[in-house]
Amino acid sequence: MASAGSGDEKAAAAAMITLISSDNEKFEVTEATATLSQTIRHMIEDGCTDGGVPLPNVTSKILARVIEYCKKHATAAAGEEGSSSSFSDAAFLEVDRAFLEELEEFDDAFLEVDRATLFDLILAANYLDIKGLLNLTCQKVADSVKGKTPEQIREMYNIVNDLTPEEEAEIRRETQWAFE
Amino acid sequence: MASPPRPRSPPVTRAMRARAAASSERIPPDVLFDVLLRLPARDLCRLRAVCRSWRALTSGDPLFAEAHAAAHPGPLFLAKFRDDKSSVYVVDLSGNALKRVAGAGGGPYHHLLCTSLNLACVATDWNRCRVLDPATGAVRVLPESPAEEHANRVNLRNPYTFFALGRVAATGKHKVLRMFNRLGFHNGGHQVFEVFTVNGGDGDVQWRGRQGPGLFIDECSGVVVDGVVYFLTSRVYEGVRCGIRPDYIVSFDLGTEEWRSDLRGPISSNAGDRKVPHYTRGDLSLAELKGSLVLADHREQPMSMDLWFLSDFGNGLWAKEYHIQTHSIISRLVGEYRLKPLLLLDDGRLVFYLAVKGLLLVCEPGTNTFAEVGIRCLDSVGVYTGNLLSLGEGDMV
Repeated sequence: MASAGSGDEKAAAAAMITLISSDNEKFEVTEATATLSQTIRHMIEDGCTDGGVPLPNVTSKILARVIEYCKKHATAAAGEEGSSSSFSDAAFLEVDRAFLEELEEFDDAFLEVDRATLFDLILAANYLDIKGLLNLTCQKVADSVKGKTPEQIREMYNIVNDLTPEEEAEIRRETQWAFE
Repeated sequence: MASPPRPRSPPVTRAMRARAAASSERIPPDVLFDVLLRLPARDLCRLRAVCRSWRALTSGDPLFAEAHAAAHPGPLFLAKFRDDKSSVYVVDLSGNALKRVAGAGGGPYHHLLCTSLNLACVATDWNRCRVLDPATGAVRVLPESPAEEHANRVNLRNPYTFFALGRVAATGKHKVLRMFNRLGFHNGGHQVFEVFTVNGGDGDVQWRGRQGPGLFIDECSGVVVDGVVYFLTSRVYEGVRCGIRPDYIVSFDLGTEEWRSDLRGPISSNAGDRKVPHYTRGDLSLAELKGSLVLADHREQPMSMDLWFLSDFGNGLWAKEYHIQTHSIISRLVGEYRLKPLLLLDDGRLVFYLAVKGLLLVCEPGTNTFAEVGIRCLDSVGVYTGNLLSLGEGDMV
């Protein structure tokens, strides 16, 4: 992708950012990868990334996964830009389509994690403001909740029912339509 | 006996607590917000019964309700179905029922008024009218007794009524316009108009009598745009040499509770006098789209429809924004076989209601193609602009 860009873009693509996890592990990533995070993009714009970006809310285990996601999707974004601006013939559309399919497969595989990791990824995506990752992970949890009864949800997620029987009865009366 | 080992002290800092919560199987609060945002209102209402924190988020948290509305921008409709006339439903454009308000539909002869509000109104032709908040399920049954000054002018034993519900932007109040004696001219009676404030408080529990516009209106043409009720004139004037053009429009302002100055329609404003006699009142109907009054001009041979948008009331300026070929959908235009423009979508498509078949149709205006919305047969329909998670703007009762 970088070969298609101008000299300036090459320089920007080559610029590296250091991200520092809560357990002090350092990760070197390209600016293109890092700026998928709006939070980091703003830090770069404000010029406060020298000496690394400390991310005290993200562990190295989670940060590694987040970076894996960003690398893949940054490549995808660069590919999209390239094809939409200069090429539009069928061959390139075909490449796009294949690439999108590959991306979808990547996302599916990416979500194959345990529940605690999934929640950590959501918190990290929220903190780092990575829209695509937040959507992907939240939708996975949302899909697991959809169509379930309150009892099933409590059991799935170890939630203690702290409503009084009266309160619960009232909610059920008010929302009877949603149980039909 | 050895004392049991002391439990490890709980995490102390906020970050540590957050990590501890996140690494268990429980859903952390920030995650819960982001996840529930992605669920439809129906699931959220059911899941209020999970526990207190879920209930707090999904019933009336204004921040969450707003974020949820922004995340689900699709248009919503109010619907009564022919196979369940006792309920009012909130449905989306895919035909999914997001909410059913059981018992709110009134009965088989109550129909939803075609409003575009956060409230619904169901009424009969014989003086039964109730206003409903679909979010809370609250129902306000409006009084049947006429305004004091009309006590002797309406036949309460056998009333024949028309209702219109609108919102006055300046005050945020909802008002209903009621008209008695629908047949008017034909049976020699006068059309009698009254206004009721739905959320007016204790002092406002009666209908207030209002003057008529001075000529007979066609109540079936009534449509509400931004707190003003617009009507075409009665068909009794059709063909009569009385100087009333078929596209002549009268309007009642629910805010001031007065009739406004009359409005010339686009046919007589733009077509020139010569062509006007070719039009009959029956070719025309009124609608509301993107906050404007719209005059639909239905033509035959080939079957088509022009939509004129009123851009300036004061100067009577109209613009023809759509010409839609409808012959692929309807083969004859007579009477009830008519498409009613219901909503303009953000992507430029138009939603129509084909009342005679109880169908919603989505039209691509550029190509004149129509797609049917997969939905049960409709009895009546309106647009819902409210938020199902909100707890209502004000007390209606």
